[in-house]
Amino acid sequence: MSGHPDSGLLPNALLIARREYVEKLRSRAFAVATAILMAVAVGAALVPIGLRALDREQTTRIGVTSPSPAVTGRVIDLVSQYLNPIPPGADPATVRPHYILRSEPDLATGLVDVDSGRLDSVLEVSIGSTGALDFTFHGNDGPTSATIQRLQVATFGAAVVEYSQNLQGSAGPAFHVPSFDLQPTDLGPSVAPVDPAVAGSRTLLASILVVLIFITLTVYGMWVATSVASEKASRVMELLISAGTPRQLLVGKVVGVGAAGLTQYLAILLPATLVLALQDPLATALIGPADPGEAPLIGLTLPILVAFGAFFILGFLLYAFVYAAAGSLVSRPEDIQQLAMPLSFVSMAGYFAAIFGMTAINSRVVEVLSFVPFFSPYVMLARVMLGHVDAWEIALSLGLLVAAIGASMWIAARIYGAGVLLYGQRPGFRTFLRVAIRPGGG
Amino acid sequence: MLDRMTLVIDRLSKRYGDVVALDEVGFSVAPGEIFGFLGANGAGKTTTMRIVLDILRADSGTVTWRGRPSTELPRRTFGYLPEERGLYPRMRVLEQLVFFAGLYGVPQPDARRDALDWLERFRVSDLAGRRADELSKGNQQKIQFIAAVLHDPEVVLMDEPFTGLDPVNVALLRAAFLELAARGRTLIFSTHQMEVVESLAASIAIIDHGRLVTGGSTREVRRRAGRPVVRLAVEGDVELGWAVDLPGVRASRRSADVTELTVSPGTDPQSILHAALARGAVVTCFEIADASLEDVFIELVGRPATGASAATGRTVVSAA
Repeated sequence: MSGHPDSGLLPNALLIARREYVEKLRSRAFAVATAILMAVAVGAALVPIGLRALDREQTTRIGVTSPSPAVTGRVIDLVSQYLNPIPPGADPATVRPHYILRSEPDLATGLVDVDSGRLDSVLEVSIGSTGALDFTFHGNDGPTSATIQRLQVATFGAAVVEYSQNLQGSAGPAFHVPSFDLQPTDLGPSVAPVDPAVAGSRTLLASILVVLIFITLTVYGMWVATSVASEKASRVMELLISAGTPRQLLVGKVVGVGAAGLTQYLAILLPATLVLALQDPLATALIGPADPGEAPLIGLTLPILVAFGAFFILGFLLYAFVYAAAGSLVSRPEDIQQLAMPLSFVSMAGYFAAIFGMTAINSRVVEVLSFVPFFSPYVMLARVMLGHVDAWEIALSLGLLVAAIGASMWIAARIYGAGVLLYGQRPGFRTFLRVAIRPGGG
Repeated sequence: MLDRMTLVIDRLSKRYGDVVALDEVGFSVAPGEIFGFLGANGAGKTTTMRIVLDILRADSGTVTWRGRPSTELPRRTFGYLPEERGLYPRMRVLEQLVFFAGLYGVPQPDARRDALDWLERFRVSDLAGRRADELSKGNQQKIQFIAAVLHDPEVVLMDEPFTGLDPVNVALLRAAFLELAARGRTLIFSTHQMEVVESLAASIAIIDHGRLVTGGSTREVRRRAGRPVVRLAVEGDVELGWAVDLPGVRASRRSADVTELTVSPGTDPQSILHAALARGAVVTCFEIADASLEDVFIELVGRPATGASAATGRTVVSAA
């Protein structure tokens, strides 16, 4: 088509995109689906607050043991005061403690109680020859968890109090900074180097985003295919193709549908993100003031949102061109399913690779798949969120994706140019390939 | 050279798998001409038009307009009324027309103004705000015609523009044809209604099974390809049995008052008149005319131009 006066994309691609966008947004189905999804998303965004409310009902039981019952008593007093602060203005009598500390005769008894579930963990206090305290925590909370961080502060305070009590006169041993060791009670293979709570919420978020990409690529891809097929069915296609080039029609269609999809996306995600961002004030309004130690639940950071946006848009473009080509081959919208099937298998493969890859995020297979264009929108996104990815890897993955989009647009335009004039047959995957290879050969 | 001014369709061939759609079809259309492109269903008219529009590529052969190959011409050179009518079903008429004109590069305000003009000419101004799926077939067709000509293309290709229109609308469309041609636009149309071609088209081409059967000025084709006809009426004799018995004469069409006789080459039409007078008949009508296009078509293609019978005819031909 080189040298053809109409070979540029503009303005026709834009006109077609605008028509597509307006028609899509005006349709009742679009409005209904968007409203429903918006409600679902806001509901989902409120879940963490619900979880927090549930979390508040929960109490953590910690056993405390030391060679001296007196020391045990003082440590329990001080630590539980620190762990269960009374929110300003609240009546101390009505505040339920989150942490219950109780004395255990010895470590062995305490660990038995942990095993049986009566206790969550045991704090072992050892007393040095000078009366200085050291602590060992027997439990499964990670070093960055709120419980451990607050326990460290509280036990330091207990050690200071104990030191000052033992101090008679001015002569005495120098203050010994208490040690605080973590002794996991469960030594199974699942012990993660990071706080399981944080890793868990990251995995959950990654899964949600990967599922979201999968659903939207499939749904919006089908929008494209259906829209092309119905233009064929209503025979308006013949007029279109004599007014614009296949490339203009194709790009316009994909951009128009993509913009409508993005609009729906924003309509769904904006309120939900707002709820997430305003989690703390909302939680305060709905379930009362927050405890000082309550951790924010989901780590939806800006870089993750950017990566998600980039992989969604590029992934959509890649898949949409192929869907458009598929749509151009059928005579009736009902026949699309048949042609779209192989394509959704590819999409599904990428989706499963990402979901199962999350358990072995740094493996070689996952690494390789994160560069393969039809899979990278899923797999690289998962890696970005859960694994260790260098900047050049992301750049390479995105570069390959863009190159693949160019190639798929070119092939799709060939298929489309021939496909839109084919009527009366129910083309299978073979027609698809044949037309891609030799568009002119009827 | 004349070729540098005209639309030249030069030895186009196109196959779909084993089916030959076009076999070295060639003809030319002068600028400002109304050209009838005739053939039975499946003869290759649509394929030819699609190749001219460059939405389909020929296996061999070229199309040039004013010396430039159609593959290098801007899309707006041509307007197209496809045989299978199609508009966006849920889009409003005016919006739709402006959209299509926009694809051909017409600025929105101009497209709006011209679209409203055309709607008024076709006496359908009230349809501007209606959705396409609410229109009657005839109205839909008029909108489709406007969509084909709104960007004022130099060449308009129309596949069956007259089918399904009532006589009033046929007259409106006919007037639009003449007006466009008077402004120097070139119009190519196909139809099965031969009397429309006879009255509108200065030149024609007839194709059958992908091959050009005949072409040229309509008068010339009628004279060359058809046998002359004699329209004869004799007082008190409707049967005219004696005339049909004359050598080289047969009755081709009978109506209430006139019988049309086809005369073989080599037979002098005047001999019929002589025979009539010799019998002492009172001749109320005697006219020597060129064959009707209908007769030429049947003569050359072997079946009438109308859709259904043409399709049956084709089955018979291919079975033979």
